[in-house]
Amino acid sequence: MAALAKRTDRFSEADIDEEIVVMMLDTGQFFSLSGTSAAIWRLIDGQRDRAAVLASLTGAFHGEEQAVTKDLDEFLATLREMGLLVD
Amino acid sequence: MDRSAAELMMQRETAVQYGPVPHSLSGEPLAEMSWQMLGGAFLLRGEGEHYFLYRKGDGVTVERGPDADVSEESLWLNGSVYAAVASLNGLLPIHASAVAHDGRVFAFSGPAGAGKSTLVAALGRHGLPLFCDDTLVLDLSDPERIVCLPGHKRLKLRPDAIGLTGAMPQEKVSKTVDKHYALPATGEVGVALPLGELIFLEERPEPAIMPITGAERLVRLQDDHYTARLFDSARKFDRAAQFAHLARLARQIAMARFVRPLDRDRFDEGVALAARHVAQPRS
Repeated sequence: MAALAKRTDRFSEADIDEEIVVMMLDTGQFFSLSGTSAAIWRLIDGQRDRAAVLASLTGAFHGEEQAVTKDLDEFLATLREMGLLVD
Repeated sequence: MDRSAAELMMQRETAVQYGPVPHSLSGEPLAEMSWQMLGGAFLLRGEGEHYFLYRKGDGVTVERGPDADVSEESLWLNGSVYAAVASLNGLLPIHASAVAHDGRVFAFSGPAGAGKSTLVAALGRHGLPLFCDDTLVLDLSDPERIVCLPGHKRLKLRPDAIGLTGAMPQEKVSKTVDKHYALPATGEVGVALPLGELIFLEERPEPAIMPITGAERLVRLQDDHYTARLFDSARKFDRAAQFAHLARLARQIAMARFVRPLDRDRFDEGVALAARHVAQPRS
């Protein structure tokens, strides 16, 4: 499966405390990520594919694979919808 | 006492001379009570034919037409003109009043009428000296810390606030402004100091102070005060640069919300809470 990569030309990001704040460069709107979504965002590095991201998450969140898989797929769908993932 | 490079720059760049100035920078007519910023220059028109021109390296030139209200002149110079000079020289003016404690600045921000000046004046009764009133100028030149320039404006209070705060009233600010200059009870600090905390004032039934964390810190920095508009106009950041600027401030500035009732009978309770918060031991 292809590695997951972000469209870095479409956003700016900043770590503030435990949150990641992401701003869309085309609209200026921003949103914050924390917990699982922040962990997924950090794991999308252009090297790992979905399975590798899931494996890392499952390790980090102590094996709750079913819940983590659901969170991952929902978050990836949201990022695709926002145009933040390389197709 | 040594003054910082930013303080010396502001002293030099805000030196005032009098004489004729152009009445537009852009070619478009400049309406009363409005300004233009172009090519490192700033032109403000007050009431009537009262113009203030700043050009980098040349200081400020004031043209007083026959109908200029001279009693308002220092308000323009210390308000929009000072903030524009700061902005055009890389400093960040923010809408806040502040006190100093233990070598750090504690600034209170909020919209007009939120009680910033009244609160910092009242904190003087708790031994906290005034650092600035209404506008706090930040020096961002050191990437590791944010330094505040000491206030350039005299404390201004409404007549009812003078009684509440224990400040000593002085002359009236101007013919049209219902405020008096005042001397704070514990005096003022006149040296540049690092910023300790930025505290936002809000009205709620019960006094409390709560930290602001994460993305909310960045959101709180989005301000529509005239000082922010002048800074934006001077810096002309694109979206990415503006975001990076706000993110840096959000990471480096500790922030809190100070909520309290706007009730004269409970004013002292809120002030005491703020004084304890400022004076608490910090790392």
